[in-house]
Amino acid sequence: MSGDLLMQSLVSGLAIGCVYGLIGIGFCVIYNASGIVNFAQGAFVMLGGMLTHVGLKTWHLPYWAAALFAVVAVAVLGVVLERIVVRPLWRRKAPVFVMILATLAAQIVIERLTFLLVDDQPKTLPVFTDLPPLKLGAVALSYQTLWIVAGSLAIVAGLAVFFKSTLTGKAMRACAIDREAALLQAIPVSRMLALAFALSAALGAVAGILLTPTQYTAFNVGVPFAISGFIAAIIGGFGRPFGAFLGGLMLGVVQSVAILSLGSGLKSAAALSVLLVFLFFRPAGIFGVAK
Amino acid sequence: MTQGSRSEPILEVRGLAASYGHVEALSPTDLRLDRGELVAILGPNGAGKSTLLRSIVGLTKTRGEVLCEGEPLPRGDPVAVAARGIVLVPEGRGIFGPMTVMENLRLGAYRVRNGGEVARRYERVFDLFPRLKERLHQPAGSMSGGEQQMVAVGRAMMADPKVLLLDEPSLGLAPRVTVEILETLRRLNAEGLSVVLVEQKAPLALELARRVHLLSLGRTVAVIDPREVKTHDELARYYFA
Ligand SMILES: Nc1ncnc2c1ncn2[C@@H]1O[C@H](COP(=O)(O)OP(=O)(O)O)[C@@H](O)[C@H]1O
Ligand SMILES: [Mg+2]
Repeated sequence: MSGDLLMQSLVSGLAIGCVYGLIGIGFCVIYNASGIVNFAQGAFVMLGGMLTHVGLKTWHLPYWAAALFAVVAVAVLGVVLERIVVRPLWRRKAPVFVMILATLAAQIVIERLTFLLVDDQPKTLPVFTDLPPLKLGAVALSYQTLWIVAGSLAIVAGLAVFFKSTLTGKAMRACAIDREAALLQAIPVSRMLALAFALSAALGAVAGILLTPTQYTAFNVGVPFAISGFIAAIIGGFGRPFGAFLGGLMLGVVQSVAILSLGSGLKSAAALSVLLVFLFFRPAGIFGVAK
Repeated sequence: MTQGSRSEPILEVRGLAASYGHVEALSPTDLRLDRGELVAILGPNGAGKSTLLRSIVGLTKTRGEVLCEGEPLPRGDPVAVAARGIVLVPEGRGIFGPMTVMENLRLGAYRVRNGGEVARRYERVFDLFPRLKERLHQPAGSMSGGEQQMVAVGRAMMADPKVLLLDEPSLGLAPRVTVEILETLRRLNAEGLSVVLVEQKAPLALELARRVHLLSLGRTVAVIDPREVKTHDELARYYFA
């Protein structure tokens, strides 16, 4: 295989990896706040692209307004999900696996509603910057790839500032470390849980909006994204947002190199192999400290 | 916030009881804490001391009532109780280990958004525990047990509490550090802070407290005046009375 092809595939692997990373961070934020693995995370990604499409094509909003509408709407949906699905179970002290199954059910409901309210046709979005790709030697770098990478890095940096420097961010970390101790400081733990769902949902939506111009979206794209984001989070050592982002990058690169060398049929096999390798040999993730 | 009358106890516990499943860990218990008083709760392991403190702040399901300055505290809502200024330093300290000392302290004043007020409270905590000032940016979990307890008490003081509840602050600490922490507690109490102190080490509690509740098997078996109990033997008599 030629060096240029390999470079090309690394570039596309890093771009898709950023998206997996954002989804993985979404998993971690909710897991840290609640102990729940939220499998409706994929629905947020799908809705990000889908609602932007609706805003753009049906309501004729400007692109940025459609995207903003999608992110806000999905964040609100995240809070609604927390209120009507997670919190009642939480109050009843339902076992964690029941809550996880409930998020999976929510994923299916959202998928079906999208199918009924929109349709089953794949849709795409225009690229953000409509210029021919940059050429770095023989490697082509599309502007959308740059948007994906720059947008994801900006979000990761923003999250770092949020968790490190704001009181609300610190309170969310405190809830993840010791929920009971957080309660004793009068930190409104249940409001932090709603905030975690809003944040994760918004992250998923942004991931969907960034990625859709390079692919397509349809009512049923959510689950594969959820699985990739979940694997990214596992690689990062579940519950570590920045580990999950690196995990996403790693998964993206492994996948695209596998497609290049073994054919696209093996994309999922590569992802699941990475998952198994980590589950068997490094269950605590790349950073290796058991939680 | 309404101010109760001066003679009203700052904290009053009436018939407070708690169970884990079908096992009653705390039988209906009364406790009265006047403003500026320090009451100690003594008793062997498993007597229900922690359950009593956790029930007061609403961390366990309870029957009975808890009043602060004559007004009932909400039950089953620890955030609301903490917001009313009833602050528990739990057994095992409950510090946020991966976070820095400064972040731990800041979260103690979570409800305070005024920077100047937060700064004043930091200064007060540094005055109580000068050692924390040198360790501000260290992860709290990496410090010695005694320093972690200082973080826990300092964090509680950041809330400017009306009532401080302490669950075995001396647990696992070297005698010298224990004395240091209890001296700080004595000072806070002398400055007017109302305190409920749970201890297993009887001499320490007897020295500090105005009144001592003896707990055994979830019941208050005696309320004693420490000035009348000078020796261990006398204390033991109460246990076996
Ligand atoms: N979470 C719990 N679940 C079941 N039983 C408990 C729990 N916590 C405490 N207990 C029981 O309640 C009783 C009182 O415990 P505790 O309040 O911790 O006592 P102390 O603080 O005086 O050592 C003990 O018998 C203990 O085994
Ligand atoms: Mg105890």
